[in-house]
Formats: sequence, C-alpha cells, structure tokens
Amino acid sequence: MSGPAVANTAGEATPRRVRPAAPGLRRTASPGLHVPAILLTPAGLVIAALTLVPIGYLVFTSFTDYDKRTLFTGAYNVVGFQQYADVLSSADFWAALVRTVLFTGAMVAGSVVIGMGVSQLMLRLGSVVRYLVTIVLIVAWAMPNVATSKVWVWLFQPGYGVIPWLITKLHVFGDVTQKDFTNSFWGALVIIWLLVVWQAVPFIALTLYAAQTQIDQSMIEAARIDGASEWRVYLSITLPFLRPTLGLMTILSIIWDFNVINQIILVAGVQVLRPIATLGVWSYLTAFASSDVGTGAAIAVITMILLLGITSIYIRNLLKSGEEF
Amino acid sequence: MATTTPVAGAGTGIRRRRRRINWGANIVAIAFAIVWIFPVYWMLNTAFKPRDEVMTQTPHFWPSRLDAANFVSALAQSSFLQDLRNSLIVVLATLVIAILLGMFASAALTRFRFRGRKAILVVILAVQMLPATALLIPQFLVFNRLSLTGTYIGLILAYVASVLPFSIWVMRGFFLAIPVELEEAAAIDGAGSWRILFAVLFPLVTPGIIASSIFAFISAWNDYLTAYVFMSDSSMYTLPLWLASFTTPNGGTDYGAQMAASVVFSLPVVVFFLIIQRNLVSGISAGAVKG
Repeated sequence: MSGPAVANTAGEATPRRVRPAAPGLRRTASPGLHVPAILLTPAGLVIAALTLVPIGYLVFTSFTDYDKRTLFTGAYNVVGFQQYADVLSSADFWAALVRTVLFTGAMVAGSVVIGMGVSQLMLRLGSVVRYLVTIVLIVAWAMPNVATSKVWVWLFQPGYGVIPWLITKLHVFGDVTQKDFTNSFWGALVIIWLLVVWQAVPFIALTLYAAQTQIDQSMIEAARIDGASEWRVYLSITLPFLRPTLGLMTILSIIWDFNVINQIILVAGVQVLRPIATLGVWSYLTAFASSDVGTGAAIAVITMILLLGITSIYIRNLLKSGEEF
Repeated sequence: MATTTPVAGAGTGIRRRRRRINWGANIVAIAFAIVWIFPVYWMLNTAFKPRDEVMTQTPHFWPSRLDAANFVSALAQSSFLQDLRNSLIVVLATLVIAILLGMFASAALTRFRFRGRKAILVVILAVQMLPATALLIPQFLVFNRLSLTGTYIGLILAYVASVLPFSIWVMRGFFLAIPVELEEAAAIDGAGSWRILFAVLFPLVTPGIIASSIFAFISAWNDYLTAYVFMSDSSMYTLPLWLASFTTPNGGTDYGAQMAASVVFSLPVVVFFLIIQRNLVSGISAGAVKG
C-alpha cells in the first residue's frame, strides 16, 4: 500500500510553515464548541463505524468458533480463550512468528542500508545523472504492487524468464532456466525480498537525500580541511544529523514490511505459499481460504498487538520530533 | 557539464560552486539506475513485442518492431472496460466521500482547540498502522451479514475506512500552513466561524485537497486484497483483479497480455506520482527533520 504509506509522513508539513500556526480562532470561546463538533462528527462516525467497531468485532470473533458453517447459518459458540490457546500452542504459529520477524528484519535492513547508500551516492552526482536516478526511483516506487508482483513472476518465469537466463549466462550456477523459483521455498523468499526492497528503497533514499541537503555544508568542509576522511565525515556529521529521520524511516519500514501481504500471495507458488506465510498471510489464509474465521481473527488480534507496540514507538517518536499535536 | 551543484539547492539558497565531476559516483549511479529500472523496462519490452516474441528460449532485449497486439489482446478480449468502469465508480465515490469528510475533520483538528484533540490525532495515526487482515476479517463478516459484500457500496465503505484517516492527516499539514493572521483579519471584518471556513480556509487549502485526492486515488485504485475478498461475481471485478486474472488456476499465463495490462494499470499511478514528487520529498524532510 504505497499510497497511504507515503502520505503518513508526507502530510506532516508539506507546505513550509509561515509561522508555527498555533491552532487559531481564539474567539472559539464565545460561540461554544459546536463548530468543531459539527465538522468532526461525519468523519468521526465513519471512522468509528468502519474501523473501531470492526476492530471490536474482530476481538469478539476471536473468542468464538466462527467458521464456514457460521457464514451461512449465523450460528457460532463463544469458546473463550480456546482459539488463542490453540494458536499459541501450535508449532505453526511460532514458526510463522519467527519467519515474520526474520523476513521483516531482512527487508527493513536491505531497504534501509541500500537507501542510505543511494542517498549518499546522489550527493556526489552531476545534475543530469541525479535527475535520472530520481526519476528511476520514483517510477519503481510508484508502480502498483499488484502489477510489480506480476512483473517479477514473469522475470523469473521458468523456461522464458529473463533473470534465470542472465544467471545462466554467468556460468557460475549452471543452467537455472528451467528452475521453478516461485515454487521453491528459498526462491520465493528471495524474489519477494528483492521485490519489496526494490520498491521500498526509493522512499528511504529520497527522504534521506532530502534530509542530507539540509546539512550545513560549511561544517563538512571544515572537517575535510581538518583532514577528515569521507567515512569520518559520514560517521561524525552526516549520521548524527540523519538519526531522527533514519529512526522514523526504520520504524515505518518495520510496520509496512510486517504488513506485506499482496506481494507474498501474488508471487509465491501454491506449493510454498503456506510454508513461507508470514503472520498476516497466515491469518488471511486461515480466515478466508480455510474459512476458519475464529482462528484467523485470533491470529489477526495477536498480530495487531505486536504491531501496536511498534506503532506506539512511532507515535512517541513523532511527538518527540517536534510535531505539533 | 563542467559544473555540478554539490547540493540540490532547489531554492534553499546554498551557494553553488564549481567542483570536479566525480566520475566514479556517476558511473555507479548509472549502473544502479539501469539495474533498478530493469523490471519496468522488461515490462514495457514484453508489452510492446509482437506476440510470437514474448515466449522465447533466448530473451529478446528489444522488440523487432513495436506491436500493439498484446494491448489489443489485454484490452479488447477481456472484461477490461467493465472492470475499468467498476474501478472508476468505486475509486471516485471513495475519493469524494473521504476528501469531503477529511477536509471538515482536518479543519476542526487544526483551527480549533478542544479537549480530546490530541487523542483523536493519535487514534487516526494508529488506525493507519493496523494490519490489513485485522480490518478485512470483521469488515467482511459485517458486510456479509448486511449483504454488502459484492456490491459497490461495500467496497466503497471499506476504502473510505482506509483512506479517510490519512486524508485527514495529509490535509492537516496544509491547514497548519495557513497563518492565523488571515483568520484574525477575517474575524475583525465580522466573519463568523463558518464564513471563515468556507471563504478563507477551504479555498486556501486547495493544494492539500489535490494532494490528498491523489493519495486517496492511488490507494483505492491499487487495492487488491479487499476487492478479491469482497467481490465474488466477476462482473463486479475491479482492475487489480482483472490484472491478476491473466494467470489461470492451472498455471497458464498470457504474459504478453499481462504485461500490457500492467502498463495500462500502472500508467495513471506513475503519472500522478511524478506530478506530486516535488511536494512529496520536500514535505517528508521538513516533517521528519524539523525540530
């Protein structure tokens, strides 16, 4: 979901502030609070009805044995913590949790490290090449993930895919043109990793680049004159300056990558989809493919609680970074 | 090109000076650009090939001639027009509802002070970070009970739920940028709260409305999972489902047509991204580095 993802941070201060606009209308005291109340009510009702109530219903469902039969008859039993006990005592759950954490970690590390490298590179380019890199990054970023998932499956298609053909040409790994990458455990994981990192790097690289252009250049020049190496300059000046931005990028990446579903269900072949399923995919498959809605709901609640922990760090960070609430 | 600017001084007023071209960095950057654009290039290359050059043992890195046959096959011999219509109905309705409600809510949250304001903002932020299935499962259950699954209204409501919070958040930045003095001047001239909102604030926040409309469009246009779960009747499919439909369950895929379809589907999104990119990056950095 690149759209909303982008918006989260983009909106924070898109236009430069003329002055810190302390939310105004000092005369609100006189006509009472009915104006903001009227303004907020429609959106508030919609968010409450379509988001908050469903979340409540999800929690309720996770305490029932809601399944395929319930979808038709409406009958279900409240089973208390049974679903949670089942989920938490299954080896599948812990395997999926470990997989999700490792896979998310690998995707976040890949995109943040490459993004930092690219943003450094962009500082050293002529304007034409920098413009070219920017356009390339934006195009990769903008592509809808349904389309890119299909493109990547085609890139690795056995028999006709261009990447296996190129790898074969290297004469290092032998002939891999007939290998069914998306149907092998590691093949699917690597392809999905490449796909997610490919689309995540642009946001990070462009954001860090924009942040880096705000560093006072005279400081860096002074360090260079004093004989500091480029590496030293990066570690002592650039990196501390980038810390807050880098922190936000990392937290956002964790949240987004933890939630990756489309790319996994669209790229992974049928045989490996369940073996590589992350928590999100697993709860989706349990609730919709197997119609074990109660169990799927319990997995979703557990996932939500895990994510809320990370989200609260994000919100605390935003508050600390001086964002006016 | 004898000179380069060391810093992207887009109006930041950092002085420009002459510097030697860093050949190494430029070469690495060009190599990076080639690698990074390769999947997109391969999509275009495949889409514009004649049909018989798509599936070859040795890949053709350039079409022997530009051929629209893949596009004809993708667009004419499928439910493209019907699915496009479905997508447009759902996306545009989502846009109008979310932007209208978002604009009012955003005004309330930025131009007024009242108890619970911060709590509302935190809830709006937190809601966006929920895992997709946490909303999808209960929405499906409730909408299924109300017979809303498989209808435009059901899909529109689900999209409004996902788009509205970030629309409020995006427009908030634009509202905050309007100086309080403008409101004060209008108030001195005798304008009431509503008059100020409609005559001063809403017109000034138009760029924010456009930006959040584009974000909302992209988000609803791209959705695959919700549409896949909600829409069982293929006559109600939206474009992401159409795009995935070139793969048949038994594994056969018309890759030429699918790549052509990917081009058609991605084009509006990429164009919108390129339009708002300047806005995007400067906004992100100002937001994250500030303070």
